Amino acid sequence: MEALLTPNFSDYSPSMAVFNESAITDEAGWIARAQQADAGAFEKLYRMHIDKVYGLCLRMTGNVAEAEDCAQEAFIQAWNKLDRFRGDSAFATWLHRIAVNSVLGRMRKSKREQDRIHAVGEALESPVADADTGEMRDLAKAVDRLPEGARHVFVLYAVYGYSHEEAGDMLGIAPGTSKAQLHRARRLLAQQLTKEGFET
Amino acid sequence: MNEMEREDELIAKASRLATEISPERDLWPGIEEAMLRPQRSRWTPRFAQAAAVLLLVGASSGLTWLSTKDRVQVIEVVPAGLTVEQASFGGRYALGVGYQEARRDLEAQLETELARLSPEAREEVELNLAMIRGAIGQINEALAEEPDNPLLQELLLQTYKEELALMQRVGGLTQHVMSRRDI
Repeated sequence: MEALLTPNFSDYSPSMAVFNESAITDEAGWIARAQQADAGAFEKLYRMHIDKVYGLCLRMTGNVAEAEDCAQEAFIQAWNKLDRFRGDSAFATWLHRIAVNSVLGRMRKSKREQDRIHAVGEALESPVADADTGEMRDLAKAVDRLPEGARHVFVLYAVYGYSHEEAGDMLGIAPGTSKAQLHRARRLLAQQLTKEGFET
Repeated sequence: MNEMEREDELIAKASRLATEISPERDLWPGIEEAMLRPQRSRWTPRFAQAAAVLLLVGASSGLTWLSTKDRVQVIEVVPAGLTVEQASFGGRYALGVGYQEARRDLEAQLETELARLSPEAREEVELNLAMIRGAIGQINEALAEEPDNPLLQELLLQTYKEELALMQRVGGLTQHVMSRRDI
Protein backbone atom coordinates (compact mmCIF):
# COMPACT_ATOMS: atom_id res chain seq x y z
CA MET A 1 0.00 0.00 0.00
CA GLU A 2 1.50 3.29 -0.98
CA ALA A 3 1.88 5.96 1.61
CA LEU A 4 -0.71 8.67 1.85
CA LEU A 5 0.41 11.72 -0.05
CA THR A 6 -0.41 14.09 2.73
CA PRO A 7 1.77 14.09 5.80
CA ASN A 8 -0.20 13.25 8.90
CA PHE A 9 -0.32 16.54 10.67
CA SER A 10 -3.34 16.06 12.87
CA ASP A 11 -1.29 15.61 16.02
CA TYR A 12 0.92 18.61 15.48
CA SER A 13 0.92 21.57 17.76
CA PRO A 14 3.30 24.51 17.46
CA SER A 15 4.80 23.70 20.84
CA MET A 16 6.03 20.41 19.40
CA ALA A 17 8.23 22.18 16.89
CA VAL A 18 11.32 21.70 19.00
CA PHE A 19 14.40 20.72 17.09
CA ASN A 20 18.07 21.27 17.22
CA GLU A 21 18.63 24.02 14.67
CA SER A 22 22.37 23.63 14.74
CA ALA A 23 21.99 20.02 13.67
CA ILE A 24 20.25 21.05 10.48
CA THR A 25 22.34 23.48 8.57
CA ASP A 26 21.36 22.85 5.00
CA GLU A 27 18.14 23.04 3.06
CA ALA A 28 18.08 19.30 2.42
CA GLY A 29 17.96 18.72 6.13
CA TRP A 30 14.98 21.01 6.57
CA ILE A 31 13.25 19.35 3.66
CA ALA A 32 13.83 15.90 5.13
CA ARG A 33 12.43 17.05 8.47
CA ALA A 34 9.45 18.70 6.83
CA GLN A 35 8.76 15.52 4.89
CA GLN A 36 8.35 13.84 8.25
CA ALA A 37 5.52 16.31 8.97
CA ASP A 38 7.74 18.61 11.00
CA ALA A 39 5.94 21.92 10.66
CA GLY A 40 8.77 23.81 12.33
CA ALA A 41 11.12 22.65 9.60
CA PHE A 42 8.59 23.65 6.97
CA GLU A 43 8.34 27.10 8.52
CA LYS A 44 12.10 27.36 8.15
CA LEU A 45 11.75 26.50 4.47
CA TYR A 46 9.00 29.08 4.19
CA ARG A 47 11.24 31.77 5.68
CA MET A 48 14.02 30.78 3.30
CA HIS A 49 11.87 30.93 0.16
CA ILE A 50 8.92 33.24 0.75
CA ASP A 51 10.53 36.30 -0.83
CA LYS A 52 11.26 34.46 -4.05
CA VAL A 53 7.86 32.85 -4.20
CA TYR A 54 6.03 36.05 -3.33
CA GLY A 55 8.18 38.00 -5.79
CA LEU A 56 7.25 35.63 -8.58
CA CYS A 57 3.57 35.75 -7.64
CA LEU A 58 3.61 39.54 -7.47
CA ARG A 59 5.34 39.91 -10.82
CA MET A 60 2.94 37.47 -12.43
CA THR A 61 -0.26 38.85 -10.92
CA GLY A 62 0.68 42.50 -10.43
CA ASN A 63 -1.62 42.60 -7.44
CA VAL A 64 -0.58 42.50 -3.79
CA ALA A 65 -3.67 40.69 -2.50
CA GLU A 66 -3.58 38.14 -5.31
CA ALA A 67 0.13 37.60 -4.83
CA GLU A 68 -0.31 37.03 -1.11
CA ASP A 69 -3.08 34.52 -1.74
CA CYS A 70 -1.05 32.75 -4.41
CA ALA A 71 2.05 32.58 -2.24
CA GLN A 72 0.06 31.18 0.67
CA GLU A 73 -1.65 28.68 -1.56
CA ALA A 74 1.69 27.65 -3.04
CA PHE A 75 3.17 26.88 0.37
CA ILE A 76 0.06 25.01 1.49
CA GLN A 77 0.19 22.91 -1.66
CA ALA A 78 3.90 22.39 -1.19
CA TRP A 79 3.24 21.08 2.32
CA ASN A 80 0.57 18.73 1.01
CA LYS A 81 2.78 17.47 -1.80
CA LEU A 82 6.04 17.46 0.07
CA ASP A 83 6.45 13.70 0.03
CA ARG A 84 6.46 13.86 -3.77
CA PHE A 85 9.53 16.09 -3.79
CA ARG A 86 12.39 13.80 -4.72
CA GLY A 87 15.08 16.39 -5.27
CA ASP A 88 15.09 15.98 -9.04
CA SER A 89 15.08 19.76 -9.27
CA ALA A 90 16.09 22.46 -6.81
CA PHE A 91 13.55 22.99 -4.05
CA ALA A 92 13.20 26.63 -5.14
CA THR A 93 12.35 25.52 -8.68
CA TRP A 94 9.85 23.01 -7.35
CA LEU A 95 8.24 25.76 -5.26
CA HIS A 96 8.19 28.08 -8.26
CA ARG A 97 6.36 25.49 -10.32
CA ILE A 98 3.71 25.20 -7.63
CA ALA A 99 3.49 28.98 -7.35
CA VAL A 100 3.05 29.37 -11.11
CA ASN A 101 0.29 26.74 -11.03
CA SER A 102 -1.33 28.61 -8.20
CA VAL A 103 -1.22 31.88 -10.14
CA LEU A 104 -2.59 30.30 -13.30
CA GLY A 105 -5.31 28.47 -11.39
CA ARG A 106 -6.50 31.63 -9.69
CA MET A 107 -6.45 33.60 -12.89
CA ARG A 108 -8.50 30.99 -14.68
CA LYS A 109 -11.06 31.06 -11.91
CA SER A 110 -11.63 34.77 -11.86
CA LYS A 111 -11.92 37.72 -14.11
CA ARG A 112 -9.74 39.75 -11.84
CA GLU A 113 -7.03 39.67 -14.46
CA GLN A 114 -9.09 41.84 -16.76
CA ASP A 115 -9.91 44.16 -13.88
CA ARG A 116 -6.24 44.25 -12.98
CA ILE A 117 -5.19 45.27 -16.46
CA HIS A 118 -7.58 48.22 -16.40
CA ALA A 119 -6.49 49.17 -12.91
CA VAL A 120 -2.80 49.03 -13.82
CA GLY A 121 -3.43 51.01 -16.96
CA GLU A 122 -4.98 53.77 -14.92
CA ALA A 123 -2.62 53.71 -12.00
CA LEU A 124 0.51 55.79 -11.93
CA GLU A 125 2.35 53.40 -9.67
CA SER A 126 2.19 49.64 -9.54
CA PRO A 127 2.97 47.55 -6.49
CA VAL A 128 5.47 45.60 -8.54
CA ALA A 129 7.51 48.71 -9.32
CA ASP A 130 7.82 49.48 -5.61
CA ALA A 131 10.22 46.58 -5.33
CA ASP A 132 12.63 48.15 -7.79
CA THR A 133 14.63 51.33 -7.74
CA GLY A 134 15.62 53.98 -10.21
CA GLU A 135 15.41 53.22 -13.89
CA MET A 136 14.34 49.67 -13.16
CA ARG A 137 11.01 51.00 -11.95
CA ASP A 138 10.05 52.09 -15.43
CA LEU A 139 10.81 48.67 -16.80
CA ALA A 140 8.92 46.97 -13.95
CA LYS A 141 5.86 49.13 -14.64
CA ALA A 142 6.07 48.37 -18.34
CA VAL A 143 6.34 44.64 -17.66
CA ASP A 144 3.34 44.91 -15.39
CA ARG A 145 1.28 46.35 -18.27
CA LEU A 146 2.06 43.49 -20.63
CA PRO A 147 -0.76 41.15 -21.64
CA GLU A 148 -0.99 38.09 -19.42
CA GLY A 149 0.66 35.49 -21.68
CA ALA A 150 3.54 37.74 -22.66
CA ARG A 151 4.03 38.91 -19.11
CA HIS A 152 4.19 35.41 -17.67
CA VAL A 153 6.80 34.28 -20.17
CA PHE A 154 8.81 37.46 -19.79
CA VAL A 155 8.85 37.19 -16.00
CA LEU A 156 9.90 33.54 -16.01
CA TYR A 157 12.44 33.84 -18.82
CA ALA A 158 13.91 37.30 -18.49
CA VAL A 159 13.51 38.02 -14.78
CA TYR A 160 13.86 34.57 -13.20
CA GLY A 161 16.14 33.07 -15.83
CA TYR A 162 14.18 29.96 -16.76
CA SER A 163 14.68 28.47 -20.20
CA HIS A 164 11.86 28.38 -22.74
CA GLU A 165 11.51 24.67 -22.05
CA GLU A 166 11.18 25.27 -18.32
CA ALA A 167 8.90 28.28 -18.70
CA GLY A 168 6.75 26.41 -21.20
CA ASP A 169 6.55 23.43 -18.89
CA MET A 170 5.48 25.61 -15.98
CA LEU A 171 2.91 27.50 -18.01
CA GLY A 172 1.60 24.49 -19.89
CA ILE A 173 2.63 25.84 -23.30
CA ALA A 174 5.08 24.64 -25.95
CA PRO A 175 8.62 26.06 -25.91
CA GLY A 176 7.89 27.60 -29.31
CA THR A 177 4.89 29.41 -27.87
CA SER A 178 7.06 30.65 -25.04
CA LYS A 179 9.54 32.05 -27.58
CA ALA A 180 6.74 33.72 -29.50
CA GLN A 181 5.35 35.27 -26.33
CA LEU A 182 8.80 36.52 -25.36
CA HIS A 183 9.23 38.09 -28.79
CA ARG A 184 5.86 39.76 -28.37
CA ALA A 185 6.79 40.96 -24.89
CA ARG A 186 10.08 42.42 -26.08
CA ARG A 187 8.44 44.34 -28.89
CA LEU A 188 5.64 45.63 -26.70
CA LEU A 189 8.06 46.71 -24.00
CA ALA A 190 10.34 48.45 -26.46
CA GLN A 191 7.38 50.27 -28.00
CA GLN A 192 5.98 51.22 -24.63
CA LEU A 193 9.22 52.50 -23.21
CA THR A 194 10.07 54.43 -26.37
CA LYS A 195 6.62 55.98 -26.42
CA GLU A 196 7.03 57.12 -22.84
CA GLY A 197 10.44 58.52 -23.60
CA PHE A 198 12.47 56.12 -21.51
CA GLU A 199 15.85 54.91 -22.59
CA THR A 200 16.12 51.17 -22.94
CA MET B 1 21.23 50.96 -31.33
CA ASN B 2 18.90 49.08 -33.68
CA GLU B 3 15.59 47.53 -32.73
CA MET B 4 17.00 44.07 -32.09
CA GLU B 5 19.75 45.44 -29.88
CA ARG B 6 17.24 47.50 -27.93
CA GLU B 7 15.14 44.41 -27.32
CA ASP B 8 18.17 42.39 -26.23
CA GLU B 9 19.10 45.19 -23.88
CA LEU B 10 15.62 44.92 -22.36
CA ILE B 11 16.17 41.27 -21.56
CA ALA B 12 19.52 42.02 -19.97
CA LYS B 13 17.96 44.81 -17.96
CA ALA B 14 15.07 42.62 -16.87
CA SER B 15 17.47 40.14 -15.33
CA ARG B 16 18.41 42.89 -12.88
CA LEU B 17 14.84 43.34 -11.65
CA ALA B 18 14.33 42.22 -8.08
CA THR B 19 13.45 38.53 -7.88
CA GLU B 20 12.99 38.51 -4.13
CA ILE B 21 10.25 40.71 -2.75
CA SER B 22 9.12 40.58 0.85
CA PRO B 23 5.37 40.51 1.40
CA GLU B 24 4.01 43.40 3.42
CA ARG B 25 2.65 41.01 6.03
CA ASP B 26 3.71 37.67 7.44
CA LEU B 27 1.87 35.00 5.45
CA TRP B 28 2.95 32.13 7.69
CA PRO B 29 0.01 32.23 10.18
CA GLY B 30 -2.48 31.61 7.36
CA ILE B 31 -0.34 28.81 5.97
CA GLU B 32 0.08 27.19 9.37
CA GLU B 33 -3.65 27.39 10.01
CA ALA B 34 -4.34 25.59 6.73
CA MET B 35 -1.71 22.98 7.56
CA LEU B 36 -3.33 22.27 10.90
CA ARG B 37 -6.73 21.87 9.30
CA PRO B 38 -7.37 18.16 8.85
CA GLN B 39 -7.74 17.12 5.27
CA ARG B 40 -10.79 15.08 4.58
CA SER B 41 -10.67 14.18 0.96
CA ARG B 42 -12.61 11.07 0.10
CA TRP B 43 -10.90 11.01 -3.28
CA THR B 44 -7.67 9.41 -2.20
CA PRO B 45 -5.31 8.63 -5.09
CA ARG B 46 -6.03 4.91 -4.84
CA PHE B 47 -9.76 5.55 -4.72
CA ALA B 48 -9.58 7.79 -7.76
CA GLN B 49 -7.50 5.16 -9.56
CA ALA B 50 -10.00 2.44 -8.73
CA ALA B 51 -12.89 4.62 -9.87
CA ALA B 52 -11.09 5.36 -13.13
CA VAL B 53 -10.51 1.66 -13.73
CA LEU B 54 -14.14 0.91 -13.04
CA LEU B 55 -15.25 3.62 -15.44
CA LEU B 56 -12.98 2.21 -18.09
CA VAL B 57 -14.20 -1.30 -17.42
CA GLY B 58 -17.82 -0.19 -17.62
CA ALA B 59 -17.29 1.47 -20.97
CA SER B 60 -15.18 -1.36 -22.29
CA SER B 61 -17.48 -4.16 -21.21
CA GLY B 62 -20.39 -2.25 -22.70
CA LEU B 63 -18.59 -2.15 -26.02
CA THR B 64 -17.75 -5.83 -25.69
CA TRP B 65 -21.38 -6.54 -25.11
CA LEU B 66 -22.40 -4.59 -28.17
CA SER B 67 -19.81 -6.32 -30.29
CA THR B 68 -20.62 -9.84 -29.10
CA LYS B 69 -24.35 -9.79 -28.54
CA ASP B 70 -25.17 -10.83 -32.08
CA ARG B 71 -22.79 -13.74 -31.93
CA VAL B 72 -23.79 -15.17 -28.58
CA GLN B 73 -27.19 -16.49 -27.76
CA VAL B 74 -28.05 -14.83 -24.50
CA ILE B 75 -30.74 -16.33 -22.36
CA GLU B 76 -31.88 -14.14 -19.54
CA VAL B 77 -33.60 -15.96 -16.73
CA VAL B 78 -34.95 -14.11 -13.74
CA PRO B 79 -35.71 -16.28 -10.73
CA ALA B 80 -39.37 -16.22 -9.73
CA GLY B 81 -38.72 -15.17 -6.17
CA LEU B 82 -36.22 -12.47 -6.97
CA THR B 83 -35.80 -9.80 -4.36
CA VAL B 84 -33.00 -7.31 -4.18
CA GLU B 85 -32.28 -6.79 -0.57
CA GLN B 86 -31.26 -3.42 0.76
CA ALA B 87 -28.57 -3.75 3.34
CA SER B 88 -26.09 -1.45 4.92
CA PHE B 89 -22.44 -2.03 4.17
CA GLY B 90 -20.31 -2.75 7.16
CA GLY B 91 -16.67 -3.39 7.61
CA ARG B 92 -16.65 -6.93 6.19
CA TYR B 93 -16.02 -7.55 2.55
CA ALA B 94 -15.89 -11.32 2.15
CA LEU B 95 -17.99 -12.49 -0.75
CA GLY B 96 -21.43 -13.65 0.29
CA VAL B 97 -22.67 -17.17 -0.40
CA GLY B 98 -25.19 -16.05 -3.00
CA TYR B 99 -22.60 -14.18 -4.97
CA GLN B 100 -20.09 -16.98 -4.75
CA GLU B 101 -22.60 -19.50 -6.07
CA ALA B 102 -23.59 -17.27 -8.96
CA ARG B 103 -19.99 -16.59 -9.75
CA ARG B 104 -19.06 -20.28 -9.61
CA ASP B 105 -21.89 -21.20 -11.95
CA LEU B 106 -20.99 -18.49 -14.39
CA GLU B 107 -17.30 -19.32 -14.28
CA ALA B 108 -18.15 -22.92 -15.14
CA GLN B 109 -20.16 -21.82 -18.16
CA LEU B 110 -17.79 -19.08 -19.19
CA GLU B 111 -15.14 -21.27 -20.77
CA THR B 112 -17.76 -23.04 -22.88
CA GLU B 113 -19.34 -19.80 -23.98
CA LEU B 114 -16.02 -18.16 -24.69
CA ALA B 115 -15.11 -21.03 -26.97
CA ARG B 116 -18.03 -20.05 -29.20
CA LEU B 117 -16.72 -16.54 -29.67
CA SER B 118 -14.32 -15.38 -32.31
CA PRO B 119 -10.70 -15.09 -31.10
CA GLU B 120 -11.00 -11.29 -31.14
CA ALA B 121 -14.20 -11.23 -29.13
CA ARG B 122 -12.83 -13.81 -26.71
CA GLU B 123 -9.70 -11.76 -26.19
CA GLU B 124 -11.77 -8.67 -25.56
CA VAL B 125 -13.95 -10.41 -22.98
CA GLU B 126 -10.92 -11.86 -21.22
CA LEU B 127 -9.27 -8.46 -21.18
CA ASN B 128 -12.35 -6.88 -19.64
CA LEU B 129 -12.57 -9.56 -17.00
CA ALA B 130 -8.93 -9.08 -16.14
CA MET B 131 -9.49 -5.33 -15.79
CA ILE B 132 -12.51 -5.85 -13.57
CA ARG B 133 -10.62 -8.26 -11.36
CA GLY B 134 -7.71 -5.87 -11.19
CA ALA B 135 -10.10 -3.13 -10.12
CA ILE B 136 -11.58 -5.38 -7.45
CA GLY B 137 -8.09 -5.99 -6.11
CA GLN B 138 -7.31 -2.28 -6.03
CA ILE B 139 -10.55 -1.36 -4.33
CA ASN B 140 -10.04 -4.07 -1.74
CA GLU B 141 -6.58 -2.69 -1.04
CA ALA B 142 -8.05 0.78 -0.64
CA LEU B 143 -10.73 -0.61 1.66
CA ALA B 144 -8.07 -2.15 3.83
CA GLU B 145 -6.95 1.41 4.53
CA GLU B 146 -10.37 2.97 4.68
CA PRO B 147 -12.71 0.13 5.68
CA ASP B 148 -15.66 2.40 6.41
CA ASN B 149 -15.48 4.53 3.31
CA PRO B 150 -18.99 4.25 1.84
CA LEU B 151 -17.88 5.35 -1.62
CA LEU B 152 -15.28 2.60 -1.77
CA GLN B 153 -17.84 0.11 -0.57
CA GLU B 154 -20.25 1.20 -3.26
CA LEU B 155 -17.47 1.07 -5.82
CA LEU B 156 -16.63 -2.48 -4.77
CA LEU B 157 -20.25 -3.52 -5.07
CA GLN B 158 -20.53 -1.95 -8.50
CA THR B 159 -17.35 -3.67 -9.64
CA TYR B 160 -18.53 -7.07 -8.47
CA LYS B 161 -21.82 -6.41 -10.27
CA GLU B 162 -19.86 -5.45 -13.35
CA GLU B 163 -17.96 -8.74 -13.24
CA LEU B 164 -21.13 -10.73 -12.73
CA ALA B 165 -22.95 -8.84 -15.48
CA LEU B 166 -20.17 -9.42 -17.96
CA MET B 167 -20.05 -13.12 -17.24
CA GLN B 168 -23.84 -13.19 -17.39
CA ARG B 169 -23.87 -11.52 -20.77
CA VAL B 170 -21.42 -14.00 -22.13
CA GLY B 171 -22.67 -17.02 -20.27
CA GLY B 172 -26.33 -16.37 -20.64
CA LEU B 173 -27.93 -16.93 -17.30
CA THR B 174 -27.57 -16.91 -13.59
CA GLN B 175 -29.82 -18.06 -10.86
CA HIS B 176 -28.67 -15.57 -8.34
CA VAL B 177 -28.70 -11.87 -8.03
CA MET B 178 -26.22 -10.19 -5.80
CA SER B 179 -27.23 -7.75 -3.12
CA ARG B 180 -25.09 -5.59 -0.89
CA ARG B 181 -25.34 -8.21 1.84
CA ASP B 182 -23.67 -10.74 -0.41
CA ILE B 183 -20.38 -8.93 -0.42
